[in-house]
Amino acid sequence: MATQTVEEMAAGLFRDVAIPTIHIGMATCGLAAGARSIEELVVKELEKRGLEARIIPTGCIGMCHNEPLLDITMPGMYRVSYRNVKALIIPQIFDAHFVKGEFAKKYAVCQIPIAGHKPFEGLPLMAETGFFRGQVKIVSSRCGLIDPSSIDDYIATDGYKALRKMLTEMTPDMVIDEMTKSGLRGRGGGGFYTGLKWKLTRQSQGEEKYVVCNADEGDPGAFMDRSILEGDPHSVLEGMLAASYAIGNAKKGYIYCRAEYPLAIKRLRKAIDDARERNFLGDNILGTGFSFDITIKEGAGAYVCGEETALLASLMGERGMPWPKPPFPAQKGVWGKPTVINNVETLGNVGHIILNGGDWYASYGSEKTKGTKTFALTGSVKNSGLIEVPAGTPLRSIVFDIGGGMLEKKIPFKAAQLGGPSGGCIPASGLDTPVDFENVIAAGAIMGSGGIVIMDEASCIVDTAKFFLKFTQDESCGECTPCRVGSKIMLEILTRITEGKGQEGDLDELIRLSMYVKSNSLCGLGAAAPNPVLSTIRYFREEFEAHIRDKHCPGTVCANLIKYVVIEEDCTTCGLCEPVCPTGSVTWDKGEVAHINLETCIRCKACVDACKFRAII
Amino acid sequence: MAHNDNAATINITDEEIDHICEEFGNREGAVVQILQTIQDKYGYVPAEVLERVGEDLGIPHSKMFGVLTFYSQFYREPRGKFILKVCVGTACHVRGAGLLVDKIKENLHIEEGENTEDMMFTLEPVSCLGSCALAPMAMVNGNTYGKLSGDKMVDLLKQFREESAGEPETEASPAS
Repeated sequence: MATQTVEEMAAGLFRDVAIPTIHIGMATCGLAAGARSIEELVVKELEKRGLEARIIPTGCIGMCHNEPLLDITMPGMYRVSYRNVKALIIPQIFDAHFVKGEFAKKYAVCQIPIAGHKPFEGLPLMAETGFFRGQVKIVSSRCGLIDPSSIDDYIATDGYKALRKMLTEMTPDMVIDEMTKSGLRGRGGGGFYTGLKWKLTRQSQGEEKYVVCNADEGDPGAFMDRSILEGDPHSVLEGMLAASYAIGNAKKGYIYCRAEYPLAIKRLRKAIDDARERNFLGDNILGTGFSFDITIKEGAGAYVCGEETALLASLMGERGMPWPKPPFPAQKGVWGKPTVINNVETLGNVGHIILNGGDWYASYGSEKTKGTKTFALTGSVKNSGLIEVPAGTPLRSIVFDIGGGMLEKKIPFKAAQLGGPSGGCIPASGLDTPVDFENVIAAGAIMGSGGIVIMDEASCIVDTAKFFLKFTQDESCGECTPCRVGSKIMLEILTRITEGKGQEGDLDELIRLSMYVKSNSLCGLGAAAPNPVLSTIRYFREEFEAHIRDKHCPGTVCANLIKYVVIEEDCTTCGLCEPVCPTGSVTWDKGEVAHINLETCIRCKACVDACKFRAII
Repeated sequence: MAHNDNAATINITDEEIDHICEEFGNREGAVVQILQTIQDKYGYVPAEVLERVGEDLGIPHSKMFGVLTFYSQFYREPRGKFILKVCVGTACHVRGAGLLVDKIKENLHIEEGENTEDMMFTLEPVSCLGSCALAPMAMVNGNTYGKLSGDKMVDLLKQFREESAGEPETEASPAS
């Protein structure tokens, strides 16, 4: 394998470093978990002990469920990762490393190998842990390991090597050939072959061309692109440079990033400034006569702008309304000029492909979906976070091996929602579906940009379908009637069903409307809007019927359809449920089973949450 | 992050607007960025400011209004000091973001998109903030808060109130 191993990559980061290094995960997820205060505590602890160490912020290594994360690398030793770091355990970690010369066993997750350094005994390597075993990291390989605001860290891990190789050893056609060989397909969800897209744009007439990076990651439950932008921003710039070179030297590139990602934008700005300073961007790059520069455009809050033509309209200062294709952006894009538009993850892969060859990349993955895919694994799963697996990995191993199974052991798996508002739900019977473009579509969902939300039996399928439809309804730009009005009527029906006012024939009507909206909408947003409804009716028809006929919500989510009862056998008569009820509907006497008065119950669920024994359902 | 300390009235002179437009070369294509710059500075985009930008760039007011109202992050009204962006994306939704929103509504007596009367808070449910593993979460003036619950949210509101300088602390007296 030509690519750097984790050991080699890590070695580049510690060359000539004689003092300990402390890495703290400072992506949005780490910060939300309190990484900033952990950093302050670490600084204080170092001062108190009179120790010297480098403190380096990193992006997200993927273990979001373990945030805040802190890694310690003593000179000559492997890097040890600590999870859920709190104020109290910092002194213990310090004692272990700085006083005893070992590691704090109780809090360590794993150790990350560094070539030339020594391992600790009794601590699994990163690749041996359940979460990382089965993952293959290419596009996310640097995330969480390097300092994303340091161009030196990027260069030390083979960064900008592909650029040099491309500019000095390859013609644009050779670059396109490698991309074609790699079989890389658009990772934003479209799945169009990247090599072909570049080739078509190369063939378009005109001197003036553009490269656009689509960083408008809007699917709820998806944060792959955020992780890459926050953890390894230079890789995206390098991908854009390659695209520019391949299509015939586009002089200018844009990154269209959603404004909800302030940290990603900050990291990108720094990366662009640093790259300019080192002449990886700007005029006459590396003295080869090739010139390219990048501008960041912030989105202003419109989901439809993730659709490429809407994005281009927004980029040009218009309302972000899609236009019917053709013309394709490859022919007429920004300012009417040929434009390549690729998603963040797609571009992040490019440097690795150029450096290691298309064949190498194509050796991973399934027959029609080559390489790896990142996923944001969330919901009711134990290990939620960012993962990268070879395309075609079965859903079961994503949920139960990497994901570690269900969050609450007692509540079984119900469905996996893939592809966000354009996707669908796959039930337990579909757990063996290989996750790649074709197989997920056959199962009624889409791989999409990579959001996987796991739902357990305590969630409601009808509510989920309603949730996604409400989302697309809100975000429908209003240009075409099928999407604007069709989705509204569908939402009204679903809302009625969840309120206990469902009627016979509602499901047929939903399916009929779905087919209509699907086939008549102008852009991808409308065409895919009915997917969450269709896939849930396909697999969970009984649950819809329970809502409609029996006025019953099996997942106990739809407030109007819930009748909370105390299960006598499970009630331990502890009384925890009584004081939390805001309406005094729960009655309980010492030693007696609690009782709920359904007349006055407002279905706030407070008693259910308070019960530690799941005796109220 | 965008915030305005004194939301009641803002004074923007035509010269300031002209200056911002010039920074972007008075280009029609930069209209979204110009409006973003104005909003970052003043918290919202008042009607007369929108008109002036249109004049500077030579864009009809109808079109300016179209652009402004298309994007959810532009505001035509002043907003509170603390913008409570509660994530209502999928992962947060399945982990109880709805309850969080309800709690805020109940505590502050406001609906989605509204300000408290004292202009302290604005409730703004947003779609995915991309920190799904810490669901349910919220972002307040650029800071992220994960694994929230109704009670934690109420504590946070109290904390923001206390933090707010020059605002005498009154016990639980949200605008009603």
